[in-house]
Parts: sequence; structure tokens; C-alpha cells
Amino acid sequence: MIRLWFKSGTPWVWLNAAAVSASLIMVIGVLGLILVRGAGHFWPSPVVQFSYQEKDGQIQTIIGEHIDTSITPAAMAKSSGHVMADDEETLVQYLIKTGNRDITGTDFRWILERNIKQQQTPAELMVVERREWGNFYGRLAAVKENGKIIAEGDQAWPVVQSRIDDALSVFKKITHLEKKEVGAINYSLDQLRLKQKKLQLENRWDAATEQQMATEKTELETEYKKYQAQLSELYQQIRRDSLVAKTENGNEVEIPLNKVVRVFQPNTMSVFDKIAHYGVKVVEFLTDEPREANTEGGIFPAIFGTVLMVLMMSVIVTPFGVIAAVYLREYAKQGFVTRLIRISVNNLAGVPSIVYGVFGLGFFVYILGGNIDHLFFPEAAPAPVYGTPGLLWASITLALLTLPVVIVSTEEGLARIPRSIREGSLALGATKLETLWLTVLPMASPAMMTGLILAVARAAGEVAPLMLVGVVKLAPTLPLDGNYPFLHLDRKFMHLGFHIYDVGFQSPNVEAARPLVYATSLLLVLVIIGLNLSAILIRNHLREKYRALEG
Amino acid sequence: MTAQHVRTHAIDVSSILRDQKRTDAPNEPCIKVENLNLFYGEKQALHNVSMEMSKKKVTAYIGPSGCGKSTLLRCINRMNDLVDNVTIEGKILLDNENIYDKAVNVAALRRRVGMVFQKPNPFPKSIFENVTYGLRIQGINDKRILEETVENSLRGAALWDEVKDRLNDNALGLSGGQQQRLVIARAIAIEPEVLLLDEPASALDPISTLKIEELINELKEKYTIVIVTHNMQQAARVSDYTAFMFMGELIEMGTTSELFTNPRKKQTEDYITGRYG
Amino acid sequence: MDNSKIGQHISGQFNKELEDVRNKVLTMGGLVEQQIELAVTAFSTGDLEMAELVIKQDHQVDALEMAIDQECMQILALRQPAAFDLRLLITVIKVINELERVGDMAERIAEMAIQLSSIDNKHDQYYELEHMAELVQEMLHGALDVFARMNVEDVTSITGLDENVDREYGSIIRQLITKMMEDPRNITRMLDVLWIARSLERIGDHACNVCEHLVYMVKGEDVRHLTQEELERKMKG
Repeated sequence: MIRLWFKSGTPWVWLNAAAVSASLIMVIGVLGLILVRGAGHFWPSPVVQFSYQEKDGQIQTIIGEHIDTSITPAAMAKSSGHVMADDEETLVQYLIKTGNRDITGTDFRWILERNIKQQQTPAELMVVERREWGNFYGRLAAVKENGKIIAEGDQAWPVVQSRIDDALSVFKKITHLEKKEVGAINYSLDQLRLKQKKLQLENRWDAATEQQMATEKTELETEYKKYQAQLSELYQQIRRDSLVAKTENGNEVEIPLNKVVRVFQPNTMSVFDKIAHYGVKVVEFLTDEPREANTEGGIFPAIFGTVLMVLMMSVIVTPFGVIAAVYLREYAKQGFVTRLIRISVNNLAGVPSIVYGVFGLGFFVYILGGNIDHLFFPEAAPAPVYGTPGLLWASITLALLTLPVVIVSTEEGLARIPRSIREGSLALGATKLETLWLTVLPMASPAMMTGLILAVARAAGEVAPLMLVGVVKLAPTLPLDGNYPFLHLDRKFMHLGFHIYDVGFQSPNVEAARPLVYATSLLLVLVIIGLNLSAILIRNHLREKYRALEG
Repeated sequence: MTAQHVRTHAIDVSSILRDQKRTDAPNEPCIKVENLNLFYGEKQALHNVSMEMSKKKVTAYIGPSGCGKSTLLRCINRMNDLVDNVTIEGKILLDNENIYDKAVNVAALRRRVGMVFQKPNPFPKSIFENVTYGLRIQGINDKRILEETVENSLRGAALWDEVKDRLNDNALGLSGGQQQRLVIARAIAIEPEVLLLDEPASALDPISTLKIEELINELKEKYTIVIVTHNMQQAARVSDYTAFMFMGELIEMGTTSELFTNPRKKQTEDYITGRYG
Repeated sequence: MDNSKIGQHISGQFNKELEDVRNKVLTMGGLVEQQIELAVTAFSTGDLEMAELVIKQDHQVDALEMAIDQECMQILALRQPAAFDLRLLITVIKVINELERVGDMAERIAEMAIQLSSIDNKHDQYYELEHMAELVQEMLHGALDVFARMNVEDVTSITGLDENVDREYGSIIRQLITKMMEDPRNITRMLDVLWIARSLERIGDHACNVCEHLVYMVKGEDVRHLTQEELERKMKG
């Protein structure tokens, strides 16, 4: 009976189905986990006020967000030093985000459920998102202008909102001035300095040029001073206001508004308010720069860096891979050598990526970059230009890493093009090159796109080699900006993958950053899916165009 | 009715008989194959083949699979050059010029000797682009010339009426027979002297096959045509001369009517009548 | 050339069809030969029953002709034969036409025999006629033999006999004219005998035609409308 069942093939069908379902469940599980954890991060959770009995018996007020609950069996709790009553089977602990790191030194604390005497969510509790020291939880006491109280008690709330809006717009202006205008002047000054040095090195430095340079320099400096004046005025403006808040213990703290991103009272928010808040937070996450050692704010530079790096990698790897594949398949005499090359290429795909990183650092950065600096940028010495990890080297290293994929799939594509098509072209008097260019390559383009898709998927998720050849935890400037030549290949950049690693494991406040890790992971997955989808769409379009050749 | 009357209004039997003779008469040669030997590596695929093909006539090669008829055909436009390890000895003269001469430009030769393959192989481009492919390679981009050529070629290939309203559609959307005629249009767009057809109808249905055959009949007004076919009836229908090949050798060549009614060699007879060889 | 040529096709069905046609032609030939034999005997012995049989047999010959025709047409349409097979079928179509004509001649002889038997019972004076009948029977038999063996080496000897037949025919005519002049009452009878001689002479011609068709079938050469000398030269060369 059983043997008959085995013979019928049914068990193999079930086995296959099981394997497929297991894979599916795992994929969905991963995506679901990061989706729930990551997306939930921005939802404003209520701020709770606990009356908590400390170990020494004192009753204390704790204000914070309930983040997590852990349930430990009694035996385990006992062995880790908790005093347990006999009838207790489990020990329930809450993780509370209390914020106020500047006052208490920590953001989080664990409290025992059984010691909570009272738990309520008073409406007036507010959350202050700050540019430093993390969130503040407490009650608004007053608003001050130049140290003088202008509103107190219930009137303080609307006043503080409008003042914060003012402060934010001023802050925006300051950032714009500092980043764009002053940044541009600094860049120009730096260029001027390098030019001067270069001319001096080349012995072409004379009085005329010195004169010219000096005028340019003074021009820039006057401009700089103008901006400086504007800035100091703005700084004064933004430092004018501050808010006074009471902590859980009733201590008063003064928080200057230039350090505040937003103030809100989650306990009074309706669902729509919360959705709006959520939207604002997500947009901030996507478009803002990180704050507080990357644990707060947005991750725009990382998204930008990732996408730019992947695009650059694609631009480099595609022509290289295609040319190599075309040579291997169309021109090289098939034999031992080509077989050897194919084997090597295939094996290259299996080399651990960190090895590529080491190679990139040793060869591209130090040897190539060093020589480029030596030959073309002597004026910058001793500061390196290309002789240090940067976008270019990261892109090239990843291009090298993904080259085998592109070569292999392009070769596949070329091999699949029917002989008859080539012969048809040749029979019309086309040369081999014309045939390749006009017929074969366009028809192989879907295969090339497939290769690129695989390459992109691999490159976007790669972190290890990037740590050696160009990624940093915080880049002061984007590699693409308004200063000539706009794309700065020598700059270091941020990357989502590395950002995850950095935030999750290197940040001073791992606990606070954990939701951000999920959110960033989610985003990384989305970016990769987005890049892949666009490549797949292009490929499908091409495929549609060149379909029906197999039939 | 007098005898005089009968003589002046005589039914002209002699002219009819003369016409019949003329089709059998030899013609001015266009392609001459002289002692052609072809080797794939060590293996000899063609043994000392010599033959002549007449201008503006249809010559058919018949023979069992692997007899070398396609190989011989592909020698005429040097398609075999693409195969690795191929050695060719002997001469093929096209208008008294050896195409295997070192000085010959292969691409230019292939422009003079067009070829159509067994399976329709249109490029995955529009019908217009397919027909103008050969011209564009020659650097002709004048829109007026291109349009003119497309119309003439498609008319020449008896396809114009079927596709004139959708010249910009993808050629792969055409039926098999239409595709094959498109490929023929593509070949005649560059105005070759010779047209090589390698089993042009073997992948087509009977009606499309008949259309292609009819087309061949029209095309021989302008081109010297060499056709390879597995279908003996087809060879019989379309060709003026037929060559029978077997095991890389030319066994017999003659006018089609002669070869199919009264072959001189036993091998030919066995093949065309379907006997054990 | 041997007749196994029919049986060498890759398609066994085709073999069978051709074999069938060939057998039917030979059957028809045998029937026609028998007709001549019977007709001549009926004439010389005045056996009316035999003469009736000959006339009846002619219907069978006609039916056979149509059947073979039909079969050849079918093979032509369905098999599209070439070379020898094509020539074989074309020749068969022509040969059975000739045979049918021969059958008609035999029928006429039989009719004449019936007519003569009512007028006259003495047949001893027709030795020449019997000799001529033997000659044409030999020719026809030879032609059918050539068809059966598909060997045309000896056709000239068969066509050569036609000369003898013609000579015999000439002498019979002279005899008959003499007899008619001897006694005008003989004229009606002699005319009937002339018809018989004429029919026999035609049978010889048809046998020659069959031979010529067979030469085309086997050798692919058209040898119609040639003199005996030309034919001999062609067969040798």
C-alpha cells in the first residue's frame, strides 16, 4: 500500500509543495517582521504615567511610552535575582521609554508589573522631539522669550506650537544658508586654494595671477561675511524662545526652541491626527538627514548614497560585462583558454565579497587612487582626493563584484539568439560588427537586463566591501550637489546597509535605535525591490519587443 | 477551301514545337563551380563538385539529408566561412570572377548573392526596417529612396498588398508564409544578381508554399536562382535545372524535365522514385 | 533491367499498387490473347459458341481497361511518381488502350466468323490467314512477355515480324481479289474474309505499338514512328 503510494509519485509532489511553502513562509515572515516593526515605529503611542513602587518601597512617578513586555518564568526570574512570591508563575516586566536622557542618563528602564500601583494617560503629557538628547516626556509649564515668560499654563500650548513653527522656518533658513550658500563659498575658496597651490607647484605663480586670486578671494570673503551676518542674526532669532517643562518629578527644565523638532501630546490626538503625524514622520524619515548619531531623524543621505552607488555601478558594470561577454562568445576562438576564462568568471562570483573590499582598498584606493592623486592632484597633498575610499571606488569594486553575473547572463543571451538571425544579417551584406550592433545586441538586451537585475540585487545589499572602500556612518555632504562638477566621485557616502549595521550595533543607544533598524531594513528592501522592478519592467518591455524568436 | 488557303492559314505547329525545345536549350552561365572540395575538419563534405548555373534560370539541388546540397549552396555566398575548421578548395566563378579570391570583399559578395533560409528569420523590427536593413548598412538613409525600395521589394515579393497598411508593425506578427516572403523582399531590396534559397518552403503550409513557388517563378525574370529543397515535387515544379547530390558528390545534373522523367543514373532514379538506395 | 524494379520502393503500399497494375495488365493481355486464339479457331472451325464467347470476353476486356485506367490515375494523383514509375504508368495507360483495340479486333473476327458460318462451311482455303494469325499471336505474346520481364532487348525481333504480317496480308488481299474476280458471288464472303485479314494486320500493328511504348517505359526513349532499321539502330546504340 505504502509502496504503491510511493510509486504514484504523490509523496514527491507533497515534498515539493512543502519546500515551496516553507520558503514562501520564510520570505513572508521576514518581510512581515520588518514591516510590522519598522512601520510601527512612526506611530505615536500614548504616553503613560505610572505610579511605581521602587525596590526600596518609595512610590515614584514614571512617564514614558510602553515599548515592550517581557514575560519570564518564575524559576528563571529567581535565578536572575528577582524576589518572587510563591504563587507567582511568571514575572512580567515592561520596557518603558522614559526619554529625558539629559536628566536621567538613560532613555529606557524596565519596570515590574506587580510594582505598578497606578497607570493613567493624562491628556496634558507631551513629547518633545529634540535635536539633542532624544525625546523629552513631561508637562508644559511655560514659554519664554529672551528669558521672560510670555505664556503659562493652558495658554502655553498654542503659543509654543506657533513659536516652534517660527523656529523651524528660521532653522530651515539657517540650514539652507549654511549648506548651500556658505558651503558653496567654502568650496570655491578651497578650489582657489588648490589652484594657487597647483600654479605654485608648476612654477606659474606670478604677480598677475596673485592679484587676480586675491581679488577673487576678497570677493568671496565679503560674500561670506554677508552670509555670516545673516546667519548670526538668524541664530539670535532662533535662540530667543525657549519652553519650560516639568519632568515626572516636577523638576523644571528649560529647553531652547532651536533644539526642538516638534512638540505633541499623543494622549489627546485623534486617529486622524495620528495618521497625519505618522505621515509627517515618514516623510521626515525619508527626506531628512540623520540626527543624534543616526538614531533619530531621517536617512535621506543613505537612500541617496545607495541608489547613486548602485546606478554608478550599473553604468560601469554593464558595458564592461557586455563587452567581455561579446568577446568571449562572438570573437574569441572557442577552446581551452575561453573555457578557462569562463570557469574563472564563474568562480569569481563565488568569492566572498569582503575579499573584493580588500582588493578594492588595496588596488583601487591605494594604488590607482594614490597614483591618480600623485599625477593629477599634487596640489591637494597631503590630503588625498582619490587616494581614499569614495563613491568611485565603491562603485568600481561593486562593479567588479557583479561582473561575473552580467557576463554569464549576457553570454547566455547571446547563445540563445538563433544562428539564422545572424546569418540573415550577414547574408544581406552586413559585416560581423554591423550584425552584432544592429541585430544581435538589441536582441540580447533582455538577457543583459536580467544580468543587471541580478547585479543590482546583489550590489544594493552588499555592505562588507563598502565599509572598506567608501561608506561612512555620516557623510557631511551628498556626492551630488550644485557645485561644479556636480557629481563628486571622490566623496564618501552613506549607505542603507551600513546604516543598519551602524545604528543597530554601533550606536550609543542600541535600544532606542532598534525600531529604526527595522524601518531602515524595510526601506532597504523597498529600494532593492524598486531598483529591481524598474529593471524588470525594462526587461519585459524589451522581451516583448523581441519575442517569438523561439517559436 | 484550297490548298493555298490552308497553307496561308496553317496552324503553326512548328513554332509550338520550337518553343518547347528552347526551354531545354543551354543558357549563358552565371555561376561556375570548378572542382570544389570542402572539408569540415577532417571530414570531406563536398567531393570535387563542378557545375554551371545559368543566368536567370532556377537551378534546384536535391538529395537526401546530409548530401552536401546546403553546404554547396552556402559556398556560393561564402556563408561557410563562418563555420570553424572549414577548408575549401577549388573555385566558384561568379561572372568569371573567383569568389574565393583573396581580394574579394565578402560583404560586397553577399550583397550580390542574396540568401533566404529554411526558417523565416525576420529581424525583430518593423516590416519597414526589415526591408531597409541591407540599404541602411550601405549607408543609404534617404527616406524617399527607402520608401521606394520598400514598396518595390514588397511588390516583388508579392507581399505589398497584405502589409502596406502596417509597415511599422513588428515583422514577427506576420504569418510564417508572409515572414518568408518578407525575408525574400529583404533579400531583393539590395538588388542581388543571384538569389540562394535554402529550403525556403519547408517550414510553411501548402498554400504558403505554393505562393513562394509562384514567387520564384516571377523572380527568375530578374535573378539567377538556386534553390535547395527536400521536396522533389517542388524542385520539379519550380526549377529549370536540377542537380542531384549524394554523399557530397554531384551525381547528375540536367534539365528538370529530363531528370524527373528519365534520369541517366541509377542513384538519381532510386532517389526520385523513392527506392532503396 | 528486371521487373523487380517495381518492388524496391520504400513504400510497400506503392509496391503493391504497382504490382497490382502490372498483374492486371498481364491478365488483360492474357485475356486478349485468348480472344484472338478463340476467334481464329471459331473462324476456322465455324464454332459459333466459341465466337459468342469471344464477344462476351470483350466486355471483360473493356471493364479491365477501365479499372486499370482508374487505378493508374489514382496512383498518379496520390503518389506523384517520377522517372521509371511515371513512365510505367503512362505506358500502362497506353498499352491497355492498344490491348483494348486488339480485343475489339478479335471481337470483329468473331463476328465475321459468325457471319461466314451462315454462308459457307468450307474453310480449307484460308491457310494464309491462319498463318498470319499465328504470326500476330506470336507478336502480341512477345510484346506481353517484354512487359512481363521488362526486358526490351528483343523487341526488334518482334517488330520485325510485322513485315512478314504485312507481306501475308498483301498476298491474302491478292488472293481474295483473284477469287472475287473468279466469281462475283464470292464478293460478299471475300469482303468478310478481308475484314478478318485486316483485323489481324491491325493486331500486328498494335503489338508493334505496345513494343514501342515498352521501349519508352524501360529506356525512356521515344521510338515511335521509326522504321525498322532506325529502331534497330537505336536499340543497339
